[in-house]
This record gives sequence, C-alpha cells and structure tokens, in this order.
Amino acid sequence: MSTTALLEDTKLGPKAGGLYRHQNFLTGILTGGVAMFLGWLVAHYTVQNNANWGSDMVVTVTMAAWVVGFMAGIGAFNAVFRWMVGHDQDHDDELYAAGVSQGWRRYFKFCTDHKVVGTQYLVLVMSLFAVGGTLAMIIRTQLISPNNHLISPQTYNAVISIHGMIMIIATIIMVSGPWANFILPIQLGAKDMAFPRLNALSLWLVVAAVPPILISLFIGGVDSGWTTYAPLSVQSPPGQDAFAITIITFVVSVTVAGINTITTTMTMRAKGMTMGRLPIFVWGSLVAAGLGLYAMPAFLAAQSMLLTDRVVGTSFFAPAQGGAGWLYENIFWIMGHPEVYVILIPGVAAAMDVASTFSRKPLFGYKIAVGAFFGLGALALMVWAHHMFTTGWAPNLADPWMLTTELISIPTGVFFLVIIGTLWRGSIWTRLPMYWVYLFLWNFIIGGVTGIYLSDVPADQYFHGNMFVTAHFHYTLLGGGMIGATAALCYWFPKMSGKMLNERIGKLAFWVIAIFFQVTYFGMFWEGFQGMPRRIAAYAPYFHSANLIATIGAYGLFLGWVILLYAIIHSWMNGKVAPSNPWQAKSLEWHISSPPPLENFLVDPIVTSDPYTFGEGEPMAPAKQPSPATVGSTEGGAH
Amino acid sequence: MSVVDEHSSHEHHGHYAEGGNHHDTPQAKHRKEHMLLWMLIGGDMVFTALIIFAWFYLKALNVEGMWRGAACKPNFNAGLNQSCTDGIGNAINHIVPTAAPLHTFAIAILAIVGAGFMWFAEVQARQGASGKATTPLLGLGALAILGALVWQIYQFQVLPFTTVQGAYASSFEYIMGSNVGHLALVSIVAVGLFIRGSKGLHDNGRWYQIHLSRLFAVWVAFSVTLLAFMVTFFN
Repeated sequence: MSTTALLEDTKLGPKAGGLYRHQNFLTGILTGGVAMFLGWLVAHYTVQNNANWGSDMVVTVTMAAWVVGFMAGIGAFNAVFRWMVGHDQDHDDELYAAGVSQGWRRYFKFCTDHKVVGTQYLVLVMSLFAVGGTLAMIIRTQLISPNNHLISPQTYNAVISIHGMIMIIATIIMVSGPWANFILPIQLGAKDMAFPRLNALSLWLVVAAVPPILISLFIGGVDSGWTTYAPLSVQSPPGQDAFAITIITFVVSVTVAGINTITTTMTMRAKGMTMGRLPIFVWGSLVAAGLGLYAMPAFLAAQSMLLTDRVVGTSFFAPAQGGAGWLYENIFWIMGHPEVYVILIPGVAAAMDVASTFSRKPLFGYKIAVGAFFGLGALALMVWAHHMFTTGWAPNLADPWMLTTELISIPTGVFFLVIIGTLWRGSIWTRLPMYWVYLFLWNFIIGGVTGIYLSDVPADQYFHGNMFVTAHFHYTLLGGGMIGATAALCYWFPKMSGKMLNERIGKLAFWVIAIFFQVTYFGMFWEGFQGMPRRIAAYAPYFHSANLIATIGAYGLFLGWVILLYAIIHSWMNGKVAPSNPWQAKSLEWHISSPPPLENFLVDPIVTSDPYTFGEGEPMAPAKQPSPATVGSTEGGAH
Repeated sequence: MSVVDEHSSHEHHGHYAEGGNHHDTPQAKHRKEHMLLWMLIGGDMVFTALIIFAWFYLKALNVEGMWRGAACKPNFNAGLNQSCTDGIGNAINHIVPTAAPLHTFAIAILAIVGAGFMWFAEVQARQGASGKATTPLLGLGALAILGALVWQIYQFQVLPFTTVQGAYASSFEYIMGSNVGHLALVSIVAVGLFIRGSKGLHDNGRWYQIHLSRLFAVWVAFSVTLLAFMVTFFN
C-alpha cells in the first residue's frame, strides 16, 4: 500500500468546503450581532404589547439570538442543514473543514482538526483566566482596607459573581479543552476525535457563551453569587438572564465534549491499546466526561427553571407563589459537587502522568488510581447536600451526608499516595513540569485536609459562611486542579507548539506563584478563623491585617501568572525547536513529531505494552535535555 | 510504550456517502453514532428525572398552599402579605384547574405514532425494501411528529391557567416547553430523514440513520408519555 501522507497543504478542489470557505470568527460576530439586534427589536416590540413580559424577556431573547446567530455565522449548522437536505459533505469538504490548505486562518474557523480545537481551547482558557483574574484583582483591591470605596457594594456583588462563574467555566475546560482534545486522541493512537464537528461545536459554543456573561456586568450585574441562589436570583437585575443564557450554552458545550471524549476512548483506540494500557490521563478524562454527562443536565434544569421564573413568571423557586429555594439548591448542587471533580480529576490525572515520566518509574498503583477515579465519581453523586448543611434543609439527613462526604477523603487520599508512591525512590528529573507536581501535592493536601473540617456538620456551621470556605476551595480548584493543569501545560507544550517552554522564565513564574499562592490563601484562612464573612465589600477593622496580607499575596499571584503567560507567548514565538520526545516519555504522543502532522500517525501504531515501562533497560534521569538533533524527527510515525 | 508500525492508514479510507468522519468505515461510524446517541439519551434521562423530581418536590411541599392554590390562606404575619397571589399580584382564592388530559395524551399518542412509523420504516429498510417503500412511512412519521409539535404549541393557548398561577401551573408549562424542544429536535431529524429517503439515500441497505433516528424518537415519545401520565394522574 502507498504511504502517501495527508498533509496540510494538500490540494483541494476549488469549491471544497462550500459555505465554510466564507465563514470565520468575524462572520460569526457579524451574524451574531445582526441576530442580536433583530432579537432585541422583536422582543422589545413584543414586550410593549404584553403587560406580563418585561426587560427580562428582552435580555433573554437578545442573548439567545446572539448565540444562535454567532454559531450560524461561524458555520456550526452547515453540516446539519446539508444533512437535512440530503447534500452531504464530500471528502474535500471534510478536509477543508479539517483545516487543510488554510494555514493560520484555520485557527479562526470552525475547524474540525482536534489539534486546532485543542489549541483554540488553550487560548480561550487563558483568555478566560485573564478576565477572571482581573476581576479577582478588583475584588482584592476593594478589600485592601476595611471601608474601601473603589467600587460600590452592588458592583462588588456583580464582580464576585462573574469572577466566580468565569473561573468555574475556565476550570471545567482547562484540561478537558486543550489536552483532552489535543493529546488524548494521540495517546489512544487515533487520528482525530470520534466526532470532529461536535468537537468544533463544543469549542465555539463556549466562545458564544462568553459575551452574555460579560454583558451582564453592564445590565445590572448578577448580585447573587456564582451559585445564583434562588429566590435572590429570581429578583436580580436583568444581568441574571444573560448569565443563565451563558450557562445553558455552556452546558450544551460540555455535554457534547464529554460524549466525544468517551466515544473516542471507547471506539478509537489503536490495536493493542487495551483498557489496561490506557495512559492514566485518558482514564481521568473518561471519568470526568462521564460525571459531566450526569452533572450538566442538572445545571441546565436549574438555570432554565430560574430563567422561566424570571421571564414568564413561573414559580419554581419563589416561595410566595408555591416555589422553594431548596429546590434550586438541591438541583444546583446535584450538578455542583460532581462538577468539582469534573474540574479536578483531569488535572490530577495529568499530574500522575508527569510524575511517572519525570521519576522514570511506572505509575504506582495504576489500577488503584483508576479505581479511585471511579470511586470518586460514584461518591460525587452522593454528597451534594453537604453544601446545604447551614440552610436548614433535611437536618435529619446531615449524618449520612457527612459520612459520604468524609468517604471522599479515601479516593482523594489514594491520588496523593499514587503520586507519592510514584516519586518514591524514583530517579527524579526535576524539570519544569515536575515543579508544578510538587506544588500540586502541597496545595492539594491543604485543600483536602481543610475539606474534612467542612464535611463535619458542627465545624461547618462556623466555617460555611466565612472566608475559610473561600480559601479551601481555592486551594482545591486553583491549587490542585489548576496547578495540575499547569503541569500538563508545561509537559505537553512542546508537543502542542513544537517549541520548548522557556524554563528559566517558567521557573521564575513557578516560584512567584508558589510563594504568593500561600500568602494569598493562608491570608484567607486567617480571615476565616477570625470569622470574616465571605462576599462582603466592607468589613470591620479587626479583619484588616489578614485582608491586607491576602491582597498583597493576590497581587503577587497575579504577577506570577503574567510571567507564565509571557513565558508561553515568548516561547511559542521564539522558543527552541522541540524534539519529538523531549522528556523521553513512553506514551504514544511522544512517538510522533512536535507538533504532530495533520492525521497524527502516518502509519497506524500497534501498541505492545503499557505507557509506563520505565526501568526496563532504560537510562536513569537524563543529565541534561537531549538536543533536537538527536531525538525524534519531524516526519512523524511510530518508532 | 512500545509500538510497532502497521500499514499505511489514509489511502484506503476514502469517503462514504453518508458523510461524517472521513476516517471511518460505515460500521465504525455507526458504532460511534450509536454510542453518542445512547449517551445523549442518558443525559436527557437525567434531565427528565430532574423534572419529575421538581414536580413531586413542589407538590409535596405545597409551599404557602400554592401548589394549586387550594390550601392557600392569606398570611399577613412577618410581612408575608403577598401570599395567595399569583406572580403578578392577582389574588388566588380558588383551586387552579388542571389541564385537559385530551390535549396532553393526544400529543403523546402522536409522538408514539410518529416513532412507530419510523420504526416500521426501519424494519422495512432492514428487510431490503427500497426507498419507495420506506420514504412514505418516514413522511407519515414526520407528519405525526410535526402534528405533536403543533398540538403542543396549541395547548399553550387552551390551558385553563397561566404560568404565574402557582407551582402546578409553572411545572406543567415548563414540561410543555421541554416537550416543544424535544419534539422540535425529532421533527428536524424526521423531516431530514424523509428528504434523504426521497433522494434514495436510504437505499441499498443504508438503514442505519433510520435506526438511530428511530431510537431517539422512541425515547422522546416515551418521555412525553411518561410526563403526560405524571401531570394527569399525580397533580
């Protein structure tokens, strides 16, 4: 058989792609803008003639029109429409959609190549973190002194809410977006994700979801926190409607992305890639995707019911008309706690992969780690009400909820032991990705241990409403999940970009982040121990010292992320060319060039062992980084 | 991880009439789509379960006696003088009437009939029938589903209550909205199948898309029927 490679500059027919040829990010914005205006016009006119509907209807219709218009403008519905009329895409159309012969422009289009989607996700995630981080700086600046007047209390509430939700959105996709898209299919030996169009759809849905939540800041804001508890959120300004549209759009994105990840893993593995040989990152992504499938419908239900309460006057959550705030809280946390593990598990799994590679040892307790992922996933379904200990809901059930929550410490403890066991007596090669694994371990143990206090009903009565909780979940989601994601970034950056990440700047960023992270959140623990309530714009002078320390820490932390961002951009533009396997790792992605060719493998790999065969005739930790000239090639293919 | 080379990979894939991922054989594509569909249905089952949970939760709590307004007595304590009013301030001093089962079950029956035609078309296609035999069945299925959709929208106009009249009315209309969304999705698929069938795209044993669409239509018909029973007999 021929070994003709499918290259990115393959010549396609002049009409390949059809309408796609004329669609991109800009046409999406234009179409979305026009749809938004038309939506506003129709809703505004309708409201004037209907006494029961108000500004909430206008905002909802306008924002929904933006999402539909943007997605239509970028080409998300082309294939569906063509399927409906029986005019399926042909081979050239699909190659065009995969970005063939489009160069850099494919990064601004509805491109179906999983590597393009992964890269787009990475840029999107970093942009979201930039926005969320800037909002965090506003919050901390407001809290630098007891009665600061930087922003009004109403604006403060809105900033708190939007900071929280943007960070939640960003952390949910920070690993499953860039790495489960870019790396996971290659780790499996696949040429792409199972559903390339759904893959692009999931990315662009998140892009479409962002403007409404940002616009919400300018139409009254969201004053009910990121959890948008009802009935407060039923009475919030119209910004709440835009917020709900963002969430509903995001739910669709995460759902289709999760289905894609699961289907890819189950059906597209290379020959010999048995389930027992899957890299641990794949297992983590698989479990997180499954949990997302369970959790996201609950988010959809909570936000859509809230929206109908606000827009058409239903009463799911307004007690005076027969609704119940507890209903919202239950549905929200049925989503909310599994969602914590949707965020955390992929980052933990990536940290495990990094630990194995850089300690030159097989992953310790591989099967136990997989079992712990599933155990955590199962327990995640049974702990939601611990978020409601202080609400007065079902006090008789507090004990079982406390027990299931405390059981969570078993699988999370296993994660910790797996990484420690992997490092134990390893020939550790301390490169930049490993730094983040160490920081992950430090943060994760603090986040985990403080979580045990919060699972305890009596202790939770004191801590729940104060800054202790804020510090705890930042240690867990940021200190654990996001630091794990950063380990993944530093580990797979050479594969994604074809360039080595500048370690000198990267290590500077690491130390700044590591130190100021502790300053920030220990400051918040201190605030919590003193009893300072969370979500307040002004506080008693008694809390000043702790707040000052937390704010100084936050400035330093922000600086650290800026330095890391600089390292990424600088390295991507001017970095040293990466060899195909700079870490001398074993999994499949390191057997092909950096960056990989269009269809990843020029020959189909057959896998004959697991991805952690370190120590079997392998050298110990390399004394220095191998040079590009001696390792790997740019041709791709299995070695 | 040790790997060995196999044969070249791209050359023999070509493309297939049904489109989709160009790497796949039809069998591989169908296996993946089957899995996708079942996961979508699984997610939708969770959503449906939450609707049922909300229904019984609000009914059991009957907050302020406002499930259907029957037990509502004005309560002026602690400033709760808004009790016994609907969402726009009108007094509710009567039991909110229930929706007529005729409409609710007619919609469910039409959804079942639509799914049934699609199923019959699938059976025919599996037995090797040509597009001439299956396409009319798909057309009838699409018509039934569209009928269910139109009737569901019509039901909004004839309800004896509005969204603002307590938790029963709210939940009922939310379920109707959910039905509209689901039936609209099935309608798009059913109309698409009919058009494709009329172009001969289901001929020569290519019944798999009918199969997938039928599965989704059956699930939607089941959920619409289940919710119809709930809102009619547990209100």
